[in-house]
Amino acid sequence: MAEGKTNAARIRIGLAQIDCRLGDVAGNVERHLRWISEARDRGVELLVFPELSLTGYRLLHLTSRVALPASAPELRRLAEAAGSMAVVAGFVEESDRGMLHNSAALLGGGGHDRPHLVHRKLYLPTYGLFQEERFFRPGRRLDLATLAWGKTGILVCEDLWHPELARRLAFAGSRLLIVPSAGPGRVGAGPLPANHERWETLTRATAMLNSCWILYCNRVGWEEGSFYAGSSHVVRPGGEVVDRAPVLDEHLLVADVDLREADRARWNMPLLADERQDIEGPE
Amino acid sequence: MNRSSGTREKLLLNPPLAAEVLTSFIRDAVETTGLSGVVVGVSGGVDSSLSAALAARALGPERVHGFLLPYRTSNPASEQDARAVAEHLGIPHRKIDISPMVDAYFEMEPDADPGRRGNKMARERMTILFDQAKKLDALVLGTSNKTEILLGYSTVFGDNASSLNPLGDLYKTQVWQLSRHLGLPDAVIDKAPSADLWPGQTDEGDLGVDYGTADEVLHLLFDEGLRPEEIVERGYDERAVTRIVTLEQRFRYKRRLMLIARLSGSAVNLDQEIPRD
Repeated sequence: MAEGKTNAARIRIGLAQIDCRLGDVAGNVERHLRWISEARDRGVELLVFPELSLTGYRLLHLTSRVALPASAPELRRLAEAAGSMAVVAGFVEESDRGMLHNSAALLGGGGHDRPHLVHRKLYLPTYGLFQEERFFRPGRRLDLATLAWGKTGILVCEDLWHPELARRLAFAGSRLLIVPSAGPGRVGAGPLPANHERWETLTRATAMLNSCWILYCNRVGWEEGSFYAGSSHVVRPGGEVVDRAPVLDEHLLVADVDLREADRARWNMPLLADERQDIEGPE
Repeated sequence: MNRSSGTREKLLLNPPLAAEVLTSFIRDAVETTGLSGVVVGVSGGVDSSLSAALAARALGPERVHGFLLPYRTSNPASEQDARAVAEHLGIPHRKIDISPMVDAYFEMEPDADPGRRGNKMARERMTILFDQAKKLDALVLGTSNKTEILLGYSTVFGDNASSLNPLGDLYKTQVWQLSRHLGLPDAVIDKAPSADLWPGQTDEGDLGVDYGTADEVLHLLFDEGLRPEEIVERGYDERAVTRIVTLEQRFRYKRRLMLIARLSGSAVNLDQEIPRD
């Protein structure tokens, strides 16, 4: 195989379903370090934090105050603490051009100097209670990171609702898709928060259509009277939910993921291989 | 009335989940501010009873301080109900009669109508609650529900003032649903809602529409995004719909308090939306 590294097909993943202190980067860094330490004790090799985990989500006019470059010492500290574990954390990124992005960095995994991948959220929801386009600029690129177990892509929250992105990552060889999220909850008559049922429909369909694993990590806690609905979960390539974290409480969800399952799903039902690019119309 | 099917069902909650979320809200707000509990005015009505019950679950009853704040014309049955709720919840409670403070003012304003007197009572109660909150190192727990907030059925800086409000996104019928789930006394849930600002007052008499209709119409307006004429087409009484829409529009100023005239580029709440964790 091209990378010669895909023999590490089984990895232990962790979803760090945490609460974050709004605007308190230093406090949130300490919080991340505690969870990294706990995850290491449980043998986790890839640990995912929620969207904007280092800053909190609903920053509004605090956004520029908490922005960091991808080379910031705060991120290097996480990478050093992570060691051989790979960690995905969310932050407000200030780019070289002075733009602010809602970004997720894939850090650690043996590399300390720069993140393996910084995904800048591509679709910034600006409707209902969401105001992201007022404070962030959208990303312009989709990338993959290649780690010991193979290729991995990140899509942040709203990005997943635009299905061509997950498709492109799967085509490019990603068998594992990481989805950090800050999804507010709504309570209806059902057993889970009403919008979480929609989320799970989406993650399951995405896993099934692209024959890939999905690691969905949502946060918990309250900001300005709105709660985040947790329910972080792991979906296998067939679309089955392997395990789900609770709705309201902080939780470290640990699961063993066999990436060969994605290969087998693609052999049994070759949706990606069969995909055609030559179909014309409608005009 | 031949209403469209399903609207009432859409107002149903999963009561255990709603209770869990709202207790988490109260606990988080108290912990974030570092204070030791909440104070709440208990009137004997269903809203304040539910707020107090959620707080007692969230914090433990000993950290919820109930205040009975009657005026001399208040219905004695309200006070009995308030006491029964406080005892049912096991929260410490205290009665402070607001008559001397309110009467002292209106001795200088003898011609005041019942509306002004009612507003003064509501604000008098809130000044007492905020003072007691300071004394007890606590936050003031709100008791206004979504229906009355949207219809402007409240006294500005009176009952609509609070530090945190667990009921503000619950329609009145949802308040009833959750109150039943939490086992509040039937007498409190079943009685006609009243602000008890003057003898014989009822909410539905003041509003000119029953809460069941109001909640369904507000749901269709705000949750479903229907226009008023589309709601009438679904079988709702046109006068009721018009009344609800008129109240909602007329009293918007009560929901957006502290309207600041903007001169700079950093006006508070407009240019500077600094969030509250």
